[in-house]
Amino acid sequence: MESFVHSLVKAVPVLSGVPMWTLTLTAMILSAAVLLVFALTFGGVGSYVLRKVAGDIQARIGPNRVGPNGILQFLADGVKLVLKEDIIPAKADRFLFALAPYFVFVGSFAAFVVLPFGVGLIASDLNIGVYYVMAVTSLVVVGVLLAGWASNNKWALLGGMRAAAQIVSYEIPVGMALMPAVLIAGSLSLQDIVRSQGGLLGVFGWNLFHNPFTFFSFFLYFTAAQAETNQTPFDLPEAESELVSGYNVEYSGIRFGFFFLAEFGDMFVVAALATACFLGGWHIPFLHAEALPAFWGNLLSLGAFLAKAFALVLVMMWIRWTLPRLRVDQLMRMAWKYLVPLTFVNLLGVSLWLLIFKGKGIPQMIASLFG
Amino acid sequence: MGLKQYIADIVEAVVTTAKGMKITARYGVDAGEEVTQQYPEVRREPSERFRGFLHNDIKVCTSCTMCVKVCPVDCISLEAVRGADKKMVLASYDINIGRCMYCGLCVEICPAKSLKHTRGYEKASVDRGELILHFVHEDASEIKARVAKQVAEAAAKAAEAAKAAEAAKAAAPAPNPAAGNPAPKEDPEKKG
Repeated sequence: MESFVHSLVKAVPVLSGVPMWTLTLTAMILSAAVLLVFALTFGGVGSYVLRKVAGDIQARIGPNRVGPNGILQFLADGVKLVLKEDIIPAKADRFLFALAPYFVFVGSFAAFVVLPFGVGLIASDLNIGVYYVMAVTSLVVVGVLLAGWASNNKWALLGGMRAAAQIVSYEIPVGMALMPAVLIAGSLSLQDIVRSQGGLLGVFGWNLFHNPFTFFSFFLYFTAAQAETNQTPFDLPEAESELVSGYNVEYSGIRFGFFFLAEFGDMFVVAALATACFLGGWHIPFLHAEALPAFWGNLLSLGAFLAKAFALVLVMMWIRWTLPRLRVDQLMRMAWKYLVPLTFVNLLGVSLWLLIFKGKGIPQMIASLFG
Repeated sequence: MGLKQYIADIVEAVVTTAKGMKITARYGVDAGEEVTQQYPEVRREPSERFRGFLHNDIKVCTSCTMCVKVCPVDCISLEAVRGADKKMVLASYDINIGRCMYCGLCVEICPAKSLKHTRGYEKASVDRGELILHFVHEDASEIKARVAKQVAEAAAKAAEAAKAAEAAKAAAPAPNPAAGNPAPKEDPEKKG
């Protein structure tokens, strides 16, 4: 952020009279606003796409009333959510009840800060990026548990408890599955991780193809992250058929809207992290984005990043409408008996690979064979 | 659980997931036929024996009150008076379709075959009173008064004609509300 402001001052000499902190503050607010608008738009359009995909997969039509092909449905839904009465149950803990949606939303939205959207498009390139995402998305647990508790409703409480157990359990495989990317890059910064996957190898520079272990790692991460963000095969906290609607059952209006947005925000964060750590981030196959002029480099790399991330979001929706929901014990067994050991084995495998082959991946070795 | 079983479980999970996703992908790309009917634009034709709203052809109806008696939910109410020609005249015939459960017993029992199910099934109203179908459009009291007058006139005529022969029959019109009429005063939805 500060380097950006420095270059701005250098480019526009008029600004040199303005105090540095005001410029930095303005830049911060602006980037936050841009990210917020992006998150809101993604939540809106995402809900429309989700319902259309569901319709296609189930041989239905999906929303088609508001606007051409129902494309304005999300605006109608948004207006409805804003205008609806905000009901707080009489026996609820009013303070915590009001607080919970913001915890959940902040937990998912704060992760956007370190997402590398392009060559230079990142709100803040923290040197502990991956760790930061893991930490800050854990805030969602607090929010969900608060929502379940404060609603004073047995289903909400059950949903909240389930969410807490689930998110805490799946945090481990998620972290362990991201670790190989960190090991290969030798850095926790997401920009460094993305840069480590570049090179002229195009697609084969990606961590996904680095070695067999990273290949599995991607799928392990994707599975565990689905569970961590309560996506459908693992959406036990809001299992409609058992818990009515889970932890958010007592919420209405804009507070429910925050839960809803957080869900889609989580979805994007998961897809974006998978893209950054395994699918080459903003790298464009067969094109060196960093060597391009700044404007085109940023634009194209943003396009590449969003294309990869949205493709993954689509896959998540696809899985969502394919698999039936797991039972609680199955969910826990999957985390502790399958995903946790597998991710640890994977981590060990990647570490040994890096040690034995001196950090080279299979594509690099093949490339070096041919000079 | 041995290691063999453990690995077999993982393989099974992956294979079945891939299988399911293949199926959903096939539908997602091309579902073939869409099952959804766009209701207000595309209306499904009800079947031949569809039990829709009831309709009573009051020209055929004999006011026998069988439908009133057989109705399990008491949604039909009927008022009739005996006319000058000894036939019953309908004063009112109301069906509360908000209460009707479309069992079809009234249609089955109707001796004159005047009560029929139509194909209609679309009815929404703001006021519950709108759910009561009135088949006799005139006011019941007016009909009663008119019939009473006719009966009185007929009686007077008959009395005049038979004055010499025998004593006049009782001229009392005795408007006779049909038996079995579900007590109207207890029904809050009536005449809403």
